[in-house]
Amino acid sequence: MAALVAGQVSVDPAEFTQVKYDANEIAAIVGSLAETLGVSNSISLVVDETTLLAKITCSIDAPSSDATILINAMSGAIENTKHLTTLGVNQTQTSVGRMLLRARDRMRADFAGAGADDDLTLAESAAWDTYCAGRLARAGIEINTQRWRYNHRNRFGFSNAGDADFERLWAADELSWSEVVAGIADI
Amino acid sequence: MGDTTTTSDDEAPSGATAASTARAPFAPWDRRDLPGMFSVAETARRVGNYKWTEMKLFEALGGWIATVPELDIKMRLGAHCYHHAWHADLWNQRLPELREMKPERLTVPANDAIVRFIAAMTEPEAPELTIEKLVGVYRVLIPRFISAYTYHRNNTSEITDAPTIRSINFILQDEFDDWRDGEMMLQSLITTPEDVQRAASHQAKLETIMVEAGGITGPGSIGGSSSDGF
Amino acid sequence: MRQFFPVEDLARDERFVQTNMAERLADTRNPMEPASNRKSAKSRSAGNRLTPDRPDASDRARGLMHGIMVGEIQALEGAGRTAHDFEAGDGSGDTIPFELKLDMARQAWDEARHVEISAKLGDWMGTELGEFQENTVLFEAACSNDPVLRLAGVNRALEGLAIDVFTQMKEFGDLAGDPYLEFCEDWMLADEVTHVKMGSDWLRKVTEKDPDRRTKALEFQQVVDKLFSFGGARGDHEESSFKLARRFRELAGFTDDENDTINKLGVDAFNERSQAVKQAQDAASAFADA
Repeated sequence: MAALVAGQVSVDPAEFTQVKYDANEIAAIVGSLAETLGVSNSISLVVDETTLLAKITCSIDAPSSDATILINAMSGAIENTKHLTTLGVNQTQTSVGRMLLRARDRMRADFAGAGADDDLTLAESAAWDTYCAGRLARAGIEINTQRWRYNHRNRFGFSNAGDADFERLWAADELSWSEVVAGIADI
Repeated sequence: MGDTTTTSDDEAPSGATAASTARAPFAPWDRRDLPGMFSVAETARRVGNYKWTEMKLFEALGGWIATVPELDIKMRLGAHCYHHAWHADLWNQRLPELREMKPERLTVPANDAIVRFIAAMTEPEAPELTIEKLVGVYRVLIPRFISAYTYHRNNTSEITDAPTIRSINFILQDEFDDWRDGEMMLQSLITTPEDVQRAASHQAKLETIMVEAGGITGPGSIGGSSSDGF
Repeated sequence: MRQFFPVEDLARDERFVQTNMAERLADTRNPMEPASNRKSAKSRSAGNRLTPDRPDASDRARGLMHGIMVGEIQALEGAGRTAHDFEAGDGSGDTIPFELKLDMARQAWDEARHVEISAKLGDWMGTELGEFQENTVLFEAACSNDPVLRLAGVNRALEGLAIDVFTQMKEFGDLAGDPYLEFCEDWMLADEVTHVKMGSDWLRKVTEKDPDRRTKALEFQQVVDKLFSFGGARGDHEESSFKLARRFRELAGFTDDENDTINKLGVDAFNERSQAVKQAQDAASAFADA
């Protein structure tokens, strides 16, 4: 079954059978989100509806500003947790939004040292998530700060040093990869 | 002892005079009095009424937990449910000490009106009737408990019935705390003139039945006989 | 107020959305991590257990904590209803001993504290009240109209499940170094062992002269236990999300045989669920290929 293409966004599959997701709605949410975040690249979102897990990863097809952004999401990553098997607008914004920001970061030369999503350590991934979630919150996306603080603490320790690193990343806008992961040395 | 030729072990320390240990049975600050208004049988009757009513109260609170949507109130009802179950247990333990070896025989309502009161108090079930549920407990029944217990504590023999007084003191602490919790929950729920009306009319309905009952232990729950001058 | 209260009438504020087991089982997606997705078979996170070294550890812990909170709400409601629904008596018919009613009231207070603890922990973990769907299976399955079945369903099956889950969360908090989670779970676990023991003792006492009633109650408990294994998510087997907390279960009055039976129920449920998921996914693939 071909993917659905709407503007800069393609969603695969175009029709869902195991969840009550609408590819058009997903494309509209992602398109609007990309506009909010100033991401004009083509975006390809592939949703694995066979699993209810919530893993989501992204990559770019070339390290350039006009790269296509490839996002792979398990269905739980964009699911409405109040009404399972239905699409969650905020969940989609939060999950896909982080990936769009990661992809945009990857287009920068000073992120060349960042490994592929599947190769990141748990601490690297958490630090990057904190950096992305803070930027999403400032872009007007509804974000529960404490959720991300807790995630950061699980990776960087329940300590003042870990919390200080969280605050640094949360408030930042133009970090390099080495700055994103600078706190790992203190764990 | 009693030997006039004491050994050195029994002697007072050199130079000291042995002080008398004989004292009055009641210290000067102990003003407890012997007379009390209630016989053993009357005390047992009242205690049986307390137990029955505390049971009905903890059952109602337990049952209502599932019916109230307000999370904070749901949790308070759970805590209060246990308080009143504990009171019922204290009275259940007191009854055999008052010569009632089958506590269930005296675990009865004071009269038919109290039964009707409990039925009316526990009638509200729908989730939108939290005000009515709380009014019945915290603005009618618990104030009646506080007054009946206070009257009992202040009029029973402070010496012969000390165990009842001790229980009442523990129970009253709970009653006051629970009343305060309940009143604050109610004040937070009653926010419009219509709410005020709802609360007042339900309170009046229940209070009317309670007046007919004469209180938790029936007429005389807080005295009121002609000899009291009321 | 009615004597018995139906699960569909459980009162909640507008933040909470409820579902039931039938709806959950209609979800044909695979709830387990496919083995092919795991980085290393030797890793602690290789299975479905909640451990801090899982990539999704924080969110899974948040979801589980919310599940615990709504489970505690239902346990609070269940204990309160048992204090209410049955008259004090000799334990025959619709009556329960006075002392059992008192124990249920005590349990209601304990569960109320657990809701308070869980709500505070949810806040600590960044979860909003009602953020996740509430499965009412606990109240539905456990709150039978027969008081003896309720003892088996609520105090032994439901609270037994709580022992397993709290042990898991306690371990998670300990490994993660979370100063509150481990502390709170330790306290709640102590209460749950008490509640299960209460159920074990009362079940034995109330059915002392009625072996048929006891057998029926234990059979009912097995049915509920299978339901509470959530398609095999609980048990000693590798793929389970929750291990049976055998030591605490023993303290609470479960025999080795009973724990073995519960474990086997989990394995059976896992196999049934796996087969159902495979069938559904085959059907979905066939649809996609068409």
